[in-house]
Amino acid sequence: MNLHRIKAIIYKEWREILRDRLFLSLAFFVPVSMMLVFGYGIKMDVENIPFAVLDQDRSAMSRDYLHLFMDSRYFDYQGDVQNERELEPLLADSKIRFAIIVPPRFQENLLSGRPAPVQSLIDGTFPFRTATSKGYVIAINNAFNGKLLAGFISKKMGLSPEQAASLVQPVKLELRYLYNQELKSIWSIAPAMMMFILMMTPPFLTALGVVREKENGSIYNIYSSTVTRAEFLIGKLLPYLGISAVNVVILWFMAAQVFGAPFKGDPLFFFLASVVYDSCTTGIGLLVSLFANTQVAAMMITVVVTIIPSVLYSGLLVPIASMDAASQFEAHLFPAMYYTDIAIGSFLKGIGMEQLWGRAGALLLYTLVLWLVSYLLFHKRVRA
Amino acid sequence: MSRFSKTTHHAVYRWWSRMVAMTGKELRQLSRDYLLVGAVLFLFTLDVMMAGGVKMDLNMATMMVHDADHSQASRELIYRFQPPYFKFGGEILNQKEGIELLDQGKALVVLDIPPRFQHDLIQGKPTSVQLQVDTGNTVLGTLAASYGGQIIGRYGFDIALQRMNITDAGLASVPMLADSHRVWYNPNQKDAWFMPISELLTIITVLAMMLPAAAAVREKERGTIEQLLVSPLTPTQIMLPKVVAMTLVILLGTALSLGLILRGVFDVPMKGSIPLFFAVTALYTFAMSGLGLFISTVSRNLAQATMLIIMVMMPIILLSGAWTPPEAMPPGIRQAMYLSPLYYYIEMAYGILLKGAGLKLLWDSLLGLTLIGSAVFGFGVWRFRRQFS
Repeated sequence: MNLHRIKAIIYKEWREILRDRLFLSLAFFVPVSMMLVFGYGIKMDVENIPFAVLDQDRSAMSRDYLHLFMDSRYFDYQGDVQNERELEPLLADSKIRFAIIVPPRFQENLLSGRPAPVQSLIDGTFPFRTATSKGYVIAINNAFNGKLLAGFISKKMGLSPEQAASLVQPVKLELRYLYNQELKSIWSIAPAMMMFILMMTPPFLTALGVVREKENGSIYNIYSSTVTRAEFLIGKLLPYLGISAVNVVILWFMAAQVFGAPFKGDPLFFFLASVVYDSCTTGIGLLVSLFANTQVAAMMITVVVTIIPSVLYSGLLVPIASMDAASQFEAHLFPAMYYTDIAIGSFLKGIGMEQLWGRAGALLLYTLVLWLVSYLLFHKRVRA
Repeated sequence: MSRFSKTTHHAVYRWWSRMVAMTGKELRQLSRDYLLVGAVLFLFTLDVMMAGGVKMDLNMATMMVHDADHSQASRELIYRFQPPYFKFGGEILNQKEGIELLDQGKALVVLDIPPRFQHDLIQGKPTSVQLQVDTGNTVLGTLAASYGGQIIGRYGFDIALQRMNITDAGLASVPMLADSHRVWYNPNQKDAWFMPISELLTIITVLAMMLPAAAAVREKERGTIEQLLVSPLTPTQIMLPKVVAMTLVILLGTALSLGLILRGVFDVPMKGSIPLFFAVTALYTFAMSGLGLFISTVSRNLAQATMLIIMVMMPIILLSGAWTPPEAMPPGIRQAMYLSPLYYYIEMAYGILLKGAGLKLLWDSLLGLTLIGSAVFGFGVWRFRRQFS
């Protein structure tokens, strides 16, 4: 290996990147705009669920009950309907996501000590939101039930309302939210977005950079030169790695400053781990570029091998521990999972090298294997 | 007169035969790039299938228990945390161990039962249990807290009924809400319907922009555009076949995905009219290809085009409601959604496939897509033609 030649390749590549102004600015601008769009656009907090009411009882109690929904910040009251048939088009057209029906004789039933049926209709299109909405409805119903029951008992047994209340609810629940006490979804999305963006952009830059030389034939200059395989690959990759390392810092700053995600971990460890992750994803781009002969193909394959695993198998949506054995195995094969743990751990949990060295090591190993395989697959002689 | 009609007839014929020839050329060129064909096939089939494996609901979240009571009551409470939402991960000896496990992501929830839990319950004293939830991922954290709260609430309620000697039969004489929940369109709340459809719509969006853009930029980059320009073809005859060919490929892929994966693997009900779905998809693909063509005019090579496409695509997907429904968006962004063609397409796609909605309900979305789509497509075509003049 000749340092001089590596420098020359780096210089050549860097000049080429610099000359393509649009590409250069996009290399920095795309990650930033992705971070902004995702940060401001993805809302995992389930609030303002539009709903309609069918109150067939129209009594004081039914109004009290329905007001629990209208006053909740989770629900957004859209109006009353007169009969059940009106609800269907509203749900089908997504004007409402949820409807609550109070049948006649609601008050009469409750006052005479009988159960009173109520029914909720929930749009099941977005399963996560359905589950959450249902949770809210059950919580409101339970609160209303608790009051009803306490009133019933205090009358029946002659207890004070406080005594009755504690009798009805003997086990209190203390909930402690760790790492993100206010449940701000952006706090967990921002670090996870670093994983996603750094998984997507470096391979694109690298794969397109290498395949472009193949497609327009300039790679033959390299083939016929004295530059060795390793020198070419290292020289070719380092500029892209440099761009990605700068992007790490930019994205990190945005996550912490623009979106306010607290960074509690070890900055040095996080930066180094991020650069290792970058070299890993750059390596993926390199490997793709060795198989693809056209830029379109390189582009599509990069989409396939980066976006899908980083959404499905990174722990972004589903914790690895909850997957079935096969998916868990697949998750361990992709680098995204390890980096998600490092990012969330460094930002929200405030853990560092001590707990995360295993994950960082896995990324390093991954990188070495990718670069080695690429080296072995890259030939200066064109096979016939 | 007849002479005139004959020449127009001729011109029309020539126009069409050129279109057909050029469309054939685009299709042939695409089919020769095996890797690309493979990637497109993969996206429409296996990828949509893999997306079905992602469950956004809480699934077997590991729960660790610090049980300082070890009584029948505490065991009964622990026993109620059951799959599919929770799985019992084991007991821990102290709180510190719980924090360590949460730190390392080995547990999502730690339940802490105080000493004398059963004793207090029997004595009728109020007692409390603690649930520590990892909200590093807020979606899962919120769900775990909600389900955990429901389980513990139900447990407390059962204890209360026991204490007041109210049996199940006796419940009929207690004033209570008897609530029932009906989930529409997806009664079992199968993620396996939502995610693959969402993935398919995203793939259609990506390909509808990328394929025509790539086909146009490649001619520029390789210089073959010069050959086309010296031929008798008009700019429209160069451009339209690219759009038509790629739309055909996408419709074919969509058909494959719909039949093989959505119906074959996931049993998506497909309540609405399938021809309507394809018509809408074709309209949408045309609209998005306009954007792709526009991008091809401002970029000199595919690397530039790719980065631009990613940049344009992300807001379009995000503003569409594919991941976040409109009502959850902040007010300003909510209005911006009306600019995203995907917003209308998604409304119609879910409407047709899951809800069985027809044109009577969806006409406003169709109108929106047609308006935005023609504007976008017209703009792309105008830019594309202008670059030759």
